[in-house]
Amino acid sequence: MKRILDAGIKLSLFTLIFSASPLLAQKNKPAKIKAAAVQVDMIQSDEIKLPAEFQVALYENLIRQLEKNGFSHVYRDGDRNAASVADLVVLHSTVRGFKAGSERARQVTTVSGATSITVHCQFTSPEGTSLLEQDVNGKVRFFGGNLKATYDFAKKAAHVANENFFTPGRE
Amino acid sequence: MTSRSTTIVVGVASLFAGLVIPVANAQQASGPVKVVQLTGLAGVKDNAKGILSVENGHLHFVHGKASSDVNATSIQDVATAADSQRAVGGTIGLMSKAAPYGGGRVLSLFRTKIDTLTVQYRDAEGGLHGAIFTMPVGTSEVIKKELVAQGAHTTSDKEPAAPSAASSSTPNKEQKQ
Repeated sequence: MKRILDAGIKLSLFTLIFSASPLLAQKNKPAKIKAAAVQVDMIQSDEIKLPAEFQVALYENLIRQLEKNGFSHVYRDGDRNAASVADLVVLHSTVRGFKAGSERARQVTTVSGATSITVHCQFTSPEGTSLLEQDVNGKVRFFGGNLKATYDFAKKAAHVANENFFTPGRE
Repeated sequence: MTSRSTTIVVGVASLFAGLVIPVANAQQASGPVKVVQLTGLAGVKDNAKGILSVENGHLHFVHGKASSDVNATSIQDVATAADSQRAVGGTIGLMSKAAPYGGGRVLSLFRTKIDTLTVQYRDAEGGLHGAIFTMPVGTSEVIKKELVAQGAHTTSDKEPAAPSAASSSTPNKEQKQ
C-alpha cells in the first residue's frame, strides 16, 4: 500500500514539474515591442545572386502576410507616408542562402529537389537601432512551384513579427 | 517505292517545320500577349490570366473587365528569365497524382517552357511594388524592349538567357526545371 502511495506521489510530482515548466518558460519570454506600423524594405541579395522573380515574390508575400497576421499598417519601401508614423518599425531583409531546387525532381522523386531560401530579418527603429534580428527560412519540399518557398518564408517571418511586436488596439 | 520516299520526305519536312515554326512564332510576338499575372499588380488577384501590352507609355494588363496600368517611367527595373511549368496542370494534373503505382508522376516529366517578366515600380506615394508575369517563350524580351523604349529603367541590360533560378549559394547547384 505504501509503495503505491509513494509511486502516486512521485508521479504527481513528476507531472507537476513537467506541466509547470512551459508556464515558467512563458513568464521568461521577453515582452513584446510596441509597433504601430512596419515598413518593409526591398529584399537585398548582394552576396547571393537571387533571380528577380524570387526577390519580388519574397517582398510581395512578406507585405501580404504582415498585413494579414502582424500589423494593421504595412508600408512599402520608399512610401512617404511612413515618415510621419510614430512607433514605426523598419524590416530589413537580406538573403543569406538560396537553393533553387527543381519542381520536376520533387514531383518525380518526392524526396529530392527541395527549394530553400534563408533570409536574415532585422527589425529596426527608423533611426536604425536594432530591435530584433533573426534568420528565417522558406522551403518547398513536395508540392508546388519553386516560388512557393517565398510564401513559406513570408508566413514564418510574419509569425516572428507577431510573436515579438504588438500593435496598440489590435491585441 | 515512289510513294514511300515521298512519305519520308513529307515526314522529315513536317518534323523540321514543327521544330522551326514555334520558334519563329515566339520571336514574332509583339503587341498584346496572353500572360498570367503571378503576383504584385495592385487590384489584381494572384494567378490572374489576362492580356499584357505596352501602350502610350503604360504597361497595360487586362483581366476580364478589369484593367491595370503601370506608367513606364515609374518602372525601376524590368527583368526577364526563362522557366518551365507542368504541361498538364489544373484538375487533371491534380487527379493524376492519385493514379496507381505512381503513374501520375510520368506526367510531371512533360513540361512547357515559359518566360517570366518581373517589373518593379513605384506608386504615387513612392511605395515600391513588384509584379511577376509568365508568358510564352520569346515574348518577355519584346515587352521589356518596348518598356525600356518608353522610359522604363532596367539594371540587367545584358542579362544571360540562362534559367532564372540556376544561381545558388550552395555548392549543390541545381537547375530549375
